[in-house]
Amino acid sequence: MGRTIIKQPLYTIVYLLFVLLVVFPVAYTFLLAFFNIDSLGKNLQLISIETVLLLLKSVLIAATVALFSTFSGTLLGFLLYKTKMKHSSFFKLALLIPLFISPYILAVAWKDFFFIMAGNSNIISSELGVALVLTTIYTPLAMLITGNAFSGIDSKLEESGFMIAGFHRTMSKITLPLIKPAVISSFVLIFIFSISEFSVPAILGVKVFTTEIFTQFSAFYNHSLAILQSALLLIICLLLLFAEGKYIADASFLSVGNRGNNTKTYQLNKRRLPGFLFVIIWLFISVILPFIILFFQTFNNETTNFIRAFKLLLPTFGNSITLATTGALVIVFIGFVAAYKNYLSQTQTKTGKSFDLFMLFLFATPSTIIGISLIRFYNHPALEFIYSGWTIIIIGFVAKFSFIAARLLGNAMKKIPASMDEAAQLEGISKFKRFLRIIVPLVLPSLFATFIISFIFSLGELGITIMVYPPGTEIMPIKVYTIMANAPQSLVSSMTLIVFSVTLLMIIGFYFIAKSIIKKQSYVVG
Amino acid sequence: MRLFTIVTIILTLFIISGCSNTTNEIVVYTSVDQVFSEPVLKEFENKTGIKVKAVYDTEETKSTGVLNRLIAEKENPQCDLFWSGDPIRTIVLKNRGITQPYQSPEATDINPAFKDPQHNWTGFSARARVLIYNKNLLKPNEIPKSIFNLTDEKYKGKVAIANPLFGTTTFHIAALFTTLGNEKTKQFLTALKVNKVVIATSNGDVKKQVMQGRVACGLTDTDDAFEAAKENKNTGFLFLDQNGIGSLIMPNTVCLIKGSPNTNNGKKLMDFLLSKDTEAMLARSCAQMPLHKGVKVPAGVASLDSIIPMKVNYDKTAIKLEEIQNYLKAWAEQ
Repeated sequence: MGRTIIKQPLYTIVYLLFVLLVVFPVAYTFLLAFFNIDSLGKNLQLISIETVLLLLKSVLIAATVALFSTFSGTLLGFLLYKTKMKHSSFFKLALLIPLFISPYILAVAWKDFFFIMAGNSNIISSELGVALVLTTIYTPLAMLITGNAFSGIDSKLEESGFMIAGFHRTMSKITLPLIKPAVISSFVLIFIFSISEFSVPAILGVKVFTTEIFTQFSAFYNHSLAILQSALLLIICLLLLFAEGKYIADASFLSVGNRGNNTKTYQLNKRRLPGFLFVIIWLFISVILPFIILFFQTFNNETTNFIRAFKLLLPTFGNSITLATTGALVIVFIGFVAAYKNYLSQTQTKTGKSFDLFMLFLFATPSTIIGISLIRFYNHPALEFIYSGWTIIIIGFVAKFSFIAARLLGNAMKKIPASMDEAAQLEGISKFKRFLRIIVPLVLPSLFATFIISFIFSLGELGITIMVYPPGTEIMPIKVYTIMANAPQSLVSSMTLIVFSVTLLMIIGFYFIAKSIIKKQSYVVG
Repeated sequence: MRLFTIVTIILTLFIISGCSNTTNEIVVYTSVDQVFSEPVLKEFENKTGIKVKAVYDTEETKSTGVLNRLIAEKENPQCDLFWSGDPIRTIVLKNRGITQPYQSPEATDINPAFKDPQHNWTGFSARARVLIYNKNLLKPNEIPKSIFNLTDEKYKGKVAIANPLFGTTTFHIAALFTTLGNEKTKQFLTALKVNKVVIATSNGDVKKQVMQGRVACGLTDTDDAFEAAKENKNTGFLFLDQNGIGSLIMPNTVCLIKGSPNTNNGKKLMDFLLSKDTEAMLARSCAQMPLHKGVKVPAGVASLDSIIPMKVNYDKTAIKLEEIQNYLKAWAEQ
């Protein structure tokens, strides 16, 4: 340990700061809830058989969502990343749209759709409805994960298969086993996202475990019971992630933006039309339909509310973009440091494992608990400079999203052939130069993709931000959230469209910046 | 190296941005919807030159943010003044020792029923619980006149109320418990359940369901009902039980936070909020009923003198609320 500290000062500093500033406040809140014997005893009595059944119900819904999303996402991933489907670049981007929009808005849009079309919204206000809405939201995530796994398959393996077997056999014996880790990873991540989701079941009036935790927070103000209940949720998520980690071992899954290997594309032949229809139908259900409803509600007879929404949100643009950009930069930096350490060590060290474990713990902790923990820890006169500024929000973003960044980058690094670094090492090129000239250019596309994902998540983050945002600051998701309560539907829909447009514009802007940087770096490598 | 310097400068500026601390400011947390509270706070800023730093939340999502934040910040308060849309939340804070007393000179003519006897909170601009109905689904003679009519067979599955665990609906039910007694209220609630009452996610959802015709009528607050009537001509509202127990009146409440950094400015804002001018503003923006006499209100906004109020003691109702929460949770989840 001592040698590691001397050898890798940057890693050690980042690790210690992460533990002290981000992990400790949340862990401390959990410890307080567990070690306060009085309240623990009282609260344990409140955890009844109904609580357990409710948890099981939530697990069932989340598993259904994860299963269907992973299935549809894998199919979409195959069609768009592994075949030469027309307009596949457009579809890849368009199908990601549900990830940019708050689940709350999509739930409202679906409820309205069923009322307009079927005369009542009872059909969607059920466990099945929750599963359906969440499936449309999380399928793009599965598509992204499995699609990149499909692109990463070495063409030699599949070509060998095709020499002795047909489409079905090659698919079942070579392609699918190779992307199995990505499929499992997609299932686990979507399961965690779904089981932690509060707004969709709340809007659709379905009682799940997260709504129960919310009730303890907001109706009973029983923080310790809410924390205890969250711990149950956390244990399930951690067990699942551990199982996934053990199973997948060193496979490189959950990676985006990597320079693809020389991958083989499949010919769909007579399956081309059904495949194309599936993509079109999915696009229609998950993107076009909710957007038609949003547009209909926004511009129904007038445009005044759209202008009003723009004026209301205008003061928030600068703050929100600065915050999300800074947050995404810090998250990518931490994720990169954690991933690079694992890459250098080849086998994970104790600190590397604990870093991963801490990020995972924070990822699975409900946002409200992270918010409460940050207030309790940082609301101290000596830490005023953190608590009363934007730093506290950035710490919240880091807590919530570092895990995803570290995974994305870690898996991108796993794809770098060790031979490249070894060859440079034999030539006597220094470690720093190898890092700059080999590692950075090769992971640059993944760095950009991770930055974009972290930016989108940070820009829309609400659960922690509303608990800790500095008084007097105008932030986009908070404004939308606090205005939408008493606002007419057209104003709410207008705000959603504006938030979506701002996100998209920023992504396009970042894309052009990244493109020029990546181009320059390719010259360096070349 | 240049990149490192730039990043260091940005991070330093970022941290410094949180360190600005002037005394000519006030920190306000409010659960009153931002569309209505922000103009009032801006007006105070313009009049006094005191910078208002607000944290907004919304009743629609049960004010989870501000109230939990105030409770978590108890040991080192950041907020000077809390402006709530109802008395429930301020009483929760008072019971947890988070408020401090202040007797505003602006509130001398406000009815003592709307003030905390120990001056921990003071009420102003009130809303009332009303019945909102869809004119296409209910003819004038079919509109219920009493809350107890909602259990009639003819309204089966046609009535909505918000989740009684949260917000003004909780307070309404708790007020029924203190007014009618436990047994009678439980009978009424059971009858409502038997009559397949629709539990909406919030008062805003009740409004939306009535406007869209998903249900014929529902219980909500005057500001929601007023907005609905403005948005949709087929929506109307009325005060229930005007020949019986009366309608529940819920004032906005304001309180100072104990140990806050800018208590003097907090008092100034409290005086401003309790003034006739603020009541007039809130009457115009969201049809709230002034508690002061002689405040000019627009047409359509009811006067407290013209409605029969339910006789409730807010403190006792808040205590009752805590007692019945487990019952309400079980009732809502039936």
